[in-house]
Amino acid sequence: MNAAEQETAPVRRAGVDTLFAIGVALVALVVFLAAVGPGIAPSDPTLASGGVNLPPPPLAEWPGLLAGAIFGTLETPVHWFGTDASGFDVFSRVIAAPRTDLTIALAANILSLVLGVFLGLIAGYFRNGATEFMMRLSDVLQSFPVFISAMILVALAGRSTFNIVLALSLLYTPIYIRLTRAEVMAQKTRGFVEAARAIGLTELQIALRHVLPNALTPALIQSSVTIGFAILLTAGLSFVGAGVRPPTPEWGLMISTGANQIILGEWWPSVFPGIAISLTVFGFAILGNALERRYEDA
Amino acid sequence: MKMHKTVTPEALLAVDGLCVRYPMPGGWAVPLRDVGFRIAPGEMVGLIGDAGSGKSTLALALLGIVRPPGEIVSGNVTFAGQDLLGLDEDALRALRGRDIGVIVQNPRAALNPMLRVGRQIGNVYRAHNPAGRTEVRQKAVDMLAQVGINDPERRVASYAHELSGGMAQRALIAMALSSAPRLLIADEPTSGLDVTIQAQFLDQMWRNVQETGSAVLLISQDLGVIANYCDRVLVLHEGRIVEDRPARTFFAAPEHPYAQEVLALQREDMANAEADTEGTPLIEIEGLVKHFPLRGTAKVVQAVGGADLTIRRGETLGLVGESGSGKTTVGRCLMRLETLTDGAIRYDGQEIGTMPMAAFRGLRARMQIVLQDPYDSLDPRWTVERILREPLDVHTRLSAAEKRDRIGVLMDMVGLDRALRNRRPRGLGSGALQRINIARALATEPEFVVLDEPTSVLAPAAVTGLIQLLRRLQAELGLSFLFISHDLTTVGHLCHRVAVMYLGQIVELGTVDQVFRAPAHPYAQSLLASHLFPDPENRRVDQPDTRALSGEIPSPVDLPEGCYLATRCPFVMNDCRTTKQTLSPLPDGRQVRCMRVARGEI
Repeated sequence: MNAAEQETAPVRRAGVDTLFAIGVALVALVVFLAAVGPGIAPSDPTLASGGVNLPPPPLAEWPGLLAGAIFGTLETPVHWFGTDASGFDVFSRVIAAPRTDLTIALAANILSLVLGVFLGLIAGYFRNGATEFMMRLSDVLQSFPVFISAMILVALAGRSTFNIVLALSLLYTPIYIRLTRAEVMAQKTRGFVEAARAIGLTELQIALRHVLPNALTPALIQSSVTIGFAILLTAGLSFVGAGVRPPTPEWGLMISTGANQIILGEWWPSVFPGIAISLTVFGFAILGNALERRYEDA
Repeated sequence: MKMHKTVTPEALLAVDGLCVRYPMPGGWAVPLRDVGFRIAPGEMVGLIGDAGSGKSTLALALLGIVRPPGEIVSGNVTFAGQDLLGLDEDALRALRGRDIGVIVQNPRAALNPMLRVGRQIGNVYRAHNPAGRTEVRQKAVDMLAQVGINDPERRVASYAHELSGGMAQRALIAMALSSAPRLLIADEPTSGLDVTIQAQFLDQMWRNVQETGSAVLLISQDLGVIANYCDRVLVLHEGRIVEDRPARTFFAAPEHPYAQEVLALQREDMANAEADTEGTPLIEIEGLVKHFPLRGTAKVVQAVGGADLTIRRGETLGLVGESGSGKTTVGRCLMRLETLTDGAIRYDGQEIGTMPMAAFRGLRARMQIVLQDPYDSLDPRWTVERILREPLDVHTRLSAAEKRDRIGVLMDMVGLDRALRNRRPRGLGSGALQRINIARALATEPEFVVLDEPTSVLAPAAVTGLIQLLRRLQAELGLSFLFISHDLTTVGHLCHRVAVMYLGQIVELGTVDQVFRAPAHPYAQSLLASHLFPDPENRRVDQPDTRALSGEIPSPVDLPEGCYLATRCPFVMNDCRTTKQTLSPLPDGRQVRCMRVARGEI
């Protein structure tokens, strides 16, 4: 209002923006691979090709091979990250895996977000004995070791993608309940809620129209972090044999099958998917972090 | 920048061409553009200006401080012949606290919760004066005694949370004055304090300043504070000092258009004082009681203990009292935002106090409320248009086009630019926001509106605009208002009748003229005496006040058996302590809850 004058250049907050850009880039890459990864993989990720346990080509050969791959002069496809014990091309599997991992993580997140926000709204807005009991129940659920409960759930319900999604959402729902409930409790004492009541809206209308939209931001920010960790947990479940079935390309499964070979010096079947998981989780985490800071500044 | 402006020898502080700016996206914010003024030793100078006009920035800049990433672009600040902005940090720090004292807005936040009060005062003193342990402690005790704190020997060992707001504020003066600074900068020192405490505080500050001979720069949004204590007035507007004149001439004849706007109400007569006693009753409140349960105990807090009120058609009834008096609770009960503990409320003859909520909801089109915080009461995600459409959606069956037209009319009605339709609340000034709130309240053409402290967060100019708006709306639409406020000045400008509340009871009810001119109830007398009306011809400091109440307000959990004021009343008799007081009429038509007044003894 009084005096934002165009005199000289503004100061930008470089640090936050760079971090945000890295996060966006990593997340975009994972989403891109989830969309087209299996299609652009040089070999079929679920078919053995060439030999087993072939190491990646030495770095010195990469320029030549790259040129060959681009101009189509190579007779056999290059195994950029080597092949694993079954003869699968590791590179193809690494870029095909996001379709499995991200789908599971995304589905689990959406399910727990919707459920958690809905229950959190009820628990925060209409506080009574029943909602307090629900909170205690979700505390119990949350205090249980994440990994064990996921394993039990999948073991009991069977090893299907849907059951993994269900297991993950059950674990993440309490987080969303708590986040949303806290924000709802803060928002419902605001003046505009009082004003809406004075206008003649019913409590349900107030909760849905005014409180919910204003209480949603923390949960949405948490989503980014949750997706990252859900990918990690999906991979973890596969690692212990409670996740997706082989030979579905999946990072955790790849690490698990390659783990025995590390001791023999054959590191490539598990290290590359490990790096992929790290980068993905890192990407989602810093994206969430950057979003949160923007929200606090705004 | 003005060059070589002669510094008069008697100036203690001289500011010239001071310019401070802050970077922001797309350019610079320049709260101080070209500020220049003088303060003489022993002088008390008031500084007023809109919220965000740079008053606090100026206060800090005088100490050589700018909040990062801001910067002082140019200008001179000369204090006792020394160029402050040229001093290095060590020299400045030596000056702050010793020669220039500061009192800030929020007394509790300014005290360290981990240190005893005496220790904090001592630290400030010792930072500038070499002294031993016992001497420092004695100094702290002396200072607390000097600022009027009872039992200073005990209070030096108190922590901040053990002090009341008023005492914490006094401890801050004690700290600021411990080194007898030559200049005291007080930045809104009384915002958030009740009038009686505000008056005690300012009286104390005024007395101390007279004794120590310090000069004071008093920053305030409250014209009453300025008029009652300051010798000279500075007005900061758009980064410049636009008025710099003695208080009397300033209040009598402001020159700058902004100052004229601020003082528009003060310069007219209290035209509304004539009561309209003819109107038929619209709202009748009988025996309204509201208790709040105290968590973890069987006890209750009595917010309202049996209030009877009638609001007539077309009138504005003022409801005044200090915080905790229950005035806001009355308004909220009336709107059914609280459930009544007991009592009855009739609207146009119809009982609404216990009506089922679903049935009452339809009536909400006819009675509305405007809440205290204009920003908080608007959904930050919604545009002005959507905010104003909501009541129309609930209560009318207008078509989309008709609603749009009605929204335009509403915006015109409250003096909002129609171009703001698609804006969101963020970034709008509090005056504009409060107009949106009023427009929303008026959307369904109500007959009655509760105004709950609608002016308390507004800058002086916005208050003036709002009062004028409310008067115009009442004249045009025939509205009835319940105006809840602690600010007696605005009540005087807006209301026909006024009810004074103390501890959940109405203690006096009469026309504004009756109550303001000659309050009858001892509490009303003390409240009126404490209130600072913006009239420099009739200053509080020139006529020592004898009607002040002693002691602390009783807890609303354990109320006295008889008169609630008995523990503090200067006219108390033994009977008062045991006899419940009732609201009884006086010959002149007003009602007072005091048997001694009713018997004509006071």
